[in-house]
Amino acid sequence: MPFSTTDTIAAIATPSGRGGIGVVRLSGPDAARIAGALMGRADPLDPRRATFGHILEPLANERRYVDQVVATWFVAPHSFTGDDVVEISAHGSPVLLNRIVALACDAGARLAEPGEFTLRAYLNGRIDLIQAEAVADLVDAVTPLQARAAMDQLEGTLTGKIRAIDAALFDLIARLEASLDFPEEGFHFVTREEAAAELDRTRERVDALVREGRAGRVVREGRTVVITGRPNAGKSSLFNALVGSSRAIVTDVAGTTRDLLTEKVDIGGVPVTLVDTAGLRAARDAIEAEGVRRARDAREVAALVLVVVDGSQPVTEEDRALVAPGAVGHIVLRSKSDLPPAWHDAAGFDDAAAIDVSVHDGASIERLRAAMVAALTDRDEWRDPPAVSNQRHVGLLADAALAIGRAGQALAEGASEEVVLAELADARSALEEVTGRRAPDDLLRHIFSTFCIGK
Amino acid sequence: MEFDVVVIGAGHAGVEAAWAAARLGCRVGLCTLSAETVALMPCNPAIGGTAKGHLVREIDALGGLMGRAIDATAIQFKLLNRSRGPAVWSPRAQADKRRYGAWVREALEAEPKITWILRRAGRILVEHGRVSGLGFEDGGAVSCAALVITTGTFLNGLVHVGDEQRPAGRANEPPTRELAESLRATGVEMGRLKTGTPPRLDRRTIDFSRFPQDPGDAAIVPFSFLSERIDRPQTPCHIVHTNERVRDLVRGNIGRSPLYNGQIQGIGPRYCPSLEDKVMRFPDRERHQIFLEPEGVDVNEIYVNGLSMSLPRDVQEDIVHALPGLEDAGFLRHAYAVEYDFVQPTELARSLEVKRLGGLFLAGQINGTSGYEEAAAQGIMAGINAARAVRSEAPIVLGRDQAYIGILVDDLVTRGCLEPYRMFTSRAEHRLLLRIDNADLRLTPIGRETGLVDDERWDVFEARRDRLERNRARASTVRVTIDGQQIGVGQALARPTVSLDAVRAGGFELEADDARAHIDEATFDAEFKYRGYLRQQATQLARVRAHEDRSIPGQFDYRGIPGLSREIVERLTKIRPSTIGQAARVPGVTPAAVAILAARVSRMRPGIRD
Repeated sequence: MPFSTTDTIAAIATPSGRGGIGVVRLSGPDAARIAGALMGRADPLDPRRATFGHILEPLANERRYVDQVVATWFVAPHSFTGDDVVEISAHGSPVLLNRIVALACDAGARLAEPGEFTLRAYLNGRIDLIQAEAVADLVDAVTPLQARAAMDQLEGTLTGKIRAIDAALFDLIARLEASLDFPEEGFHFVTREEAAAELDRTRERVDALVREGRAGRVVREGRTVVITGRPNAGKSSLFNALVGSSRAIVTDVAGTTRDLLTEKVDIGGVPVTLVDTAGLRAARDAIEAEGVRRARDAREVAALVLVVVDGSQPVTEEDRALVAPGAVGHIVLRSKSDLPPAWHDAAGFDDAAAIDVSVHDGASIERLRAAMVAALTDRDEWRDPPAVSNQRHVGLLADAALAIGRAGQALAEGASEEVVLAELADARSALEEVTGRRAPDDLLRHIFSTFCIGK
Repeated sequence: MEFDVVVIGAGHAGVEAAWAAARLGCRVGLCTLSAETVALMPCNPAIGGTAKGHLVREIDALGGLMGRAIDATAIQFKLLNRSRGPAVWSPRAQADKRRYGAWVREALEAEPKITWILRRAGRILVEHGRVSGLGFEDGGAVSCAALVITTGTFLNGLVHVGDEQRPAGRANEPPTRELAESLRATGVEMGRLKTGTPPRLDRRTIDFSRFPQDPGDAAIVPFSFLSERIDRPQTPCHIVHTNERVRDLVRGNIGRSPLYNGQIQGIGPRYCPSLEDKVMRFPDRERHQIFLEPEGVDVNEIYVNGLSMSLPRDVQEDIVHALPGLEDAGFLRHAYAVEYDFVQPTELARSLEVKRLGGLFLAGQINGTSGYEEAAAQGIMAGINAARAVRSEAPIVLGRDQAYIGILVDDLVTRGCLEPYRMFTSRAEHRLLLRIDNADLRLTPIGRETGLVDDERWDVFEARRDRLERNRARASTVRVTIDGQQIGVGQALARPTVSLDAVRAGGFELEADDARAHIDEATFDAEFKYRGYLRQQATQLARVRAHEDRSIPGQFDYRGIPGLSREIVERLTKIRPSTIGQAARVPGVTPAAVAILAARVSRMRPGIRD
């Protein structure tokens, strides 16, 4: 299915990674309406003027801010794409920007394909093709997401995982199709029970990927190591010490880090994405609450968690709760070891010896690095699974999960194969957005190579 | 002699083409070698089956012959997929081959606009770049404004039985060579395909008591919307299974099979595998199912469905005699494979007219398809569009959401054929919409507008449509009792496990025509059973139609468009899709290329802002 050139598309317009300011761009006839809705405005945006406001979570009984933003409406045809364009400038966190894009999509926009803004600019005569090199990749990609997959260097990780799910689903679809087209072969291509079980399995696998994606994980290579701890335990100082620069803003004010902060670092030859998180505590305001939620989510997808516990303060129940039984691998760090210690190993972290660290003691940081390398390389189960990287993938997977769920339900209610297949068609097309569209004959080819049928 | 339309070949494509063109008022010449082989079934004695049964219903709804012919002459009826939903019900019937052909021949002979030309077609005559007539192999010619070629497997046909090879279009009929050369000279791309047919055994030498019977349905569902209740004694088929001895015989003699020793070059159909393929490609399968099907009530031929092969005669006999009950079976004809030329259907426009030669239409196996139903479906469309071309009217093109016929034609002309093409319901994007019960609702108004649907059919159709509307109206007001609960009719039927019978028992009176109750019931049931899905499909369709309805000018120059790769330009130039939707289905054309194309095409329209 070719994509439309007349609907409203949305995407993050600034380069990936973290900058001070990030821009979400909307282009299309509904751009101004959608932006207005996100900002909870009754009046339309003023054309060609920067408008200050807040992006709101669409909650019925609560006003929760996503971010403070400045939005500007460029009226067609005097815009980058030639459509109506609204640019929303927000804080540069990828998680915030993704959330704004997701809200825009909920409000009626469609996530833009890579290069699609440029494509529109080209189609509307705003630029010529030589200026629009990005369009070339897009034109050559069999599905738009193939271009994206290439850009994200996701081959072999995420797409591999989706491809495996897709292949299993495709085989099931082929069997159900064969049941309809070859009813007189004298054998079952798949029983209802087998089909139901396979749908359950597939649904679970898709759901697991969606959960990873919802946890706000960003694209990158290597393992994720998450730093966690109560506020002001010294997480950001440790982050900076491991990164080797003052990347995180460090203050004495508890709750300074409100969003995930990530950096790629090399820890003893192991590529690692280090994630600093907001201190885990009962939040004082909405943004901090969101930061805390994301910090918890980040831990769920980590390969290794560094639990930072203030060595100069008595251990609290909150500290102990950080080392949840059955959680991913973790290392407990007794921070601020340059200060008089308030506790020792016996303080309750009985499953792991705490490592003393002080950012003022280079040797202690080196000991930590060595412990991290050992932890990341010795334990297979600590390897992080391929993550769903972007909004679009998560959205498609969520669509697929819903459709598979409906198919399973229809099957359970006694519906016949053609109805189950009508649901699965949606799941298949969502997954093929990621893995690449199959040729129409591939289904029959699969059937004929798997079964001896026909008279 | 002068004709409007000349049709070459009187097989399933040719007879529908001749009939349709004649009914649309054209003077039709029907050129065939013998009036004895009209609507011949050279392979299996059956019409219909999954998806094929849909095609027959559609041909019938447009005003074609096939549905009425099989209803009048079949010796066994079955509705396939009866345990599933109405969208995949498909009628199939065992045919009496001789009576079927005779029925069609009579229908054509009763049509005064058709003239029989019992000669061998030779050259395509061309004037001013358009077809002007047909020359014959033995001299002489007729003139015509449109020519429909439906020569099946006759173009350079080559029959193989073991290492025996002989030029033939069918068992003992000589092939067509001059016409093949004439066609090739037009510049169309041609290829070679292969198909095969199993042995025919002598009924009198088979011990049928050894095999389980495969009977027809107790209640017959006819093919044609015109057919009233059919009540006829039915003839059973019989089921046999191959055994290890058969497997060993095939393996031991595989070097003598032209399919496996390189003697045959053409590509065969995967869905109709030869016995050699079944044994060699699925070595673990212990046995394969075979049907013994009578070719008619008063003939001795038994068609051995599932045993198509090209092994030598002695091996064929050993194989058949290895099966208990067939030890003494006599052969009336041995199995054979046939290779033949076909025209790559990407040479055709969606009207089935050859793009490089105006007035020339192709239909049936010559376009790379297999199956009587696929042939007939193309035949009726080629006949309609040839007649319209003669009158300079725009062709009738059915959409993929309108008919399996539309899918068939679109697949052929957009994607071409690498192997013989057969219809399957899985090819339909909108399967729940394209049902046998509503083929008339989808197509009879089109057939009427075209002129193919006569008053008798139209009256039957209007009465049926009125009944449906009354039933729909009543369903929205009546409540029924299901499991002691009072609920709406629609709500009840939407449950997969609630049948129409249960809704009737629950208090809903469905108005149905006694003679055609199965149609009234199926449409009503399907509309409610699939209601949610049909709505969803309607939404998807609205999106798709935006592309399907945007036409691309015939002589559109793709080279002028920046952003399209050379490969894509080449493909589009070759296929010359008529709409943006079709362009999107051309293999290798990417979504972004389609977006660029769509923007370019709309920019060409007057009144649209650049």
